[in-house]
Amino acid sequence: MKLLRLLPLAALVLATLSLTACVNGKKGHGGNGASDADSVNGMPLPDRQEGVSFTSNNVDRAKFQPVYFGFDSYAIGSGERGKIEAVAEFMKGAPNTLIIAGFTDERGTPDYNRGLGERRAQAVREAIVHAGADGSKIQTVSFGAEMPADAGSGDSAWAKNRRAEFGVVR
Amino acid sequence: MKNPRALSFLAFCLFASAALVHGAETPTITISKSDKIPIAISAIGGADGAQVAKILQNDLAMSGYFNLVPAASAGFIVAGTSNGNSIAGNVTDRGGKTVLSKTFNGSERGKVHAYADEIVETLTGSKGIAGTKVAFVATHTGHKEIYVAEADGAGVHQLTNDANISVGPKLSPDGTKLVYTGYKSGYADVYEIDLGSGARNRIIKSPGTNTGACYSPNGHELAVIMSKDGNPELYTTGAGGGGAHRLTHTPGVESSPTWGPGGDEIIYSSDDRGGPQLYRISAGGGAGHPISTGHSYNTEPNWSPDGKKVAFTVRDGGSFTIAILDLGSGNVHTVASGEGPAWGADSRHLIFAEGGSLILLDAQTGQKTTLVSGLGKISEPTWSR
Repeated sequence: MKLLRLLPLAALVLATLSLTACVNGKKGHGGNGASDADSVNGMPLPDRQEGVSFTSNNVDRAKFQPVYFGFDSYAIGSGERGKIEAVAEFMKGAPNTLIIAGFTDERGTPDYNRGLGERRAQAVREAIVHAGADGSKIQTVSFGAEMPADAGSGDSAWAKNRRAEFGVVR
Repeated sequence: MKNPRALSFLAFCLFASAALVHGAETPTITISKSDKIPIAISAIGGADGAQVAKILQNDLAMSGYFNLVPAASAGFIVAGTSNGNSIAGNVTDRGGKTVLSKTFNGSERGKVHAYADEIVETLTGSKGIAGTKVAFVATHTGHKEIYVAEADGAGVHQLTNDANISVGPKLSPDGTKLVYTGYKSGYADVYEIDLGSGARNRIIKSPGTNTGACYSPNGHELAVIMSKDGNPELYTTGAGGGGAHRLTHTPGVESSPTWGPGGDEIIYSSDDRGGPQLYRISAGGGAGHPISTGHSYNTEPNWSPDGKKVAFTVRDGGSFTIAILDLGSGNVHTVASGEGPAWGADSRHLIFAEGGSLILLDAQTGQKTTLVSGLGKISEPTWSR
């Protein structure tokens, strides 16, 4: 009986491993820089610091440049790497908490956009942690297509809106 | 068409039309595909009788099952006496025999909706939609707020007033509660509102983004997307948001869970293999199985109460279209432009958002009605059952 109960678990592990192996460049590998096992398990987020969020007054949202993304993608392009390294260097030497906010353009459906924005924020978080920063000081949040950087419609506005922004808690 | 009385009436109609056809000496007999039941509303007694008759007429027409006709050609006659918060309803067949006699209590409109739904159930065997609630997001105030309304679009009421971001509402199947994603804390949390008392609680505030919360059919559980483990994943929780159980383990983005009628399975969207696809998973755990739809972008699935169909949003080119998947055959067909479909209790009607308005679609006849407009841009509708 016990063995039977373990069978679905074994199947799940196998399925998960084979899925991981199939992840293509559009979504995964460029972004997380993590091993396959890490990308499946993710890097759990620390508990929130109550009363402090990305939109709080005591958060500096202009200290670092946003990281931009391709359409429907959370892969981090090579041109964006320098921005992430700058944040990682700062985090290695500073005691501050960092909140990464993910955003999408307006072209998806709302709940998927909230997930995609979160996945972008977490891809950036993983990259910063892999560059040596302490993940226990880094939170994420997604606003989906809300709060666009450019309120317009069209390729130029959409490119500015597919982003992850950095909020440094002062 | 489970009701024997309605069946025998239809048989009578067919017999009558066959006789007519014979009288005209036409060589073949044509049977109409329309199974609409001819029905008439006689004068409703009581001070608000005229208004009751109007609401009742709209409810019965909206159900899709009836043709409103003069009493002389009606199969059933709807009568009643309204008295304050109750209405004594009486429905007779063309022979004068009573097929429904009952008193319905409720508000000015609620009592009428209850009567309409009982007429639908008695004559068709299908559950009615008149007494249900809808909710949605609208931007009328300049912010995304949650609104509720009756299923016919009347009684629109702004539920949240946070001047923040309030999105992703889902009504409990019984229409007494609503969960949504709110950003009051600066993070995406799941809030629950008791629609009776108005009390609001933040029930899920895990690190990261908490979204897509949706009640199980019996209201005892939620399916929800949480990112606390480093990636948006599908979980189930107790009704109060506690006791999270993780169902998916993918590097991709899960979104928009919807429960099967038995509460033992969930369909959701995941972009684990490229564009977002639909997946089906046991609510107890195990692997998620992809559902082939023939479309590359599939989100916002909504499982019909009868378990037979899934409505969802596809993106083809730059626009959104409502598609219906028949789970028995695996066939998919698109029915209208729009997004965010939700089935009604009858598994026949859908509501969705299109061009900023809330639209009602009779998926059987294709008839479209605008339920609510003029509130800015409406999105993410939900429907109680």
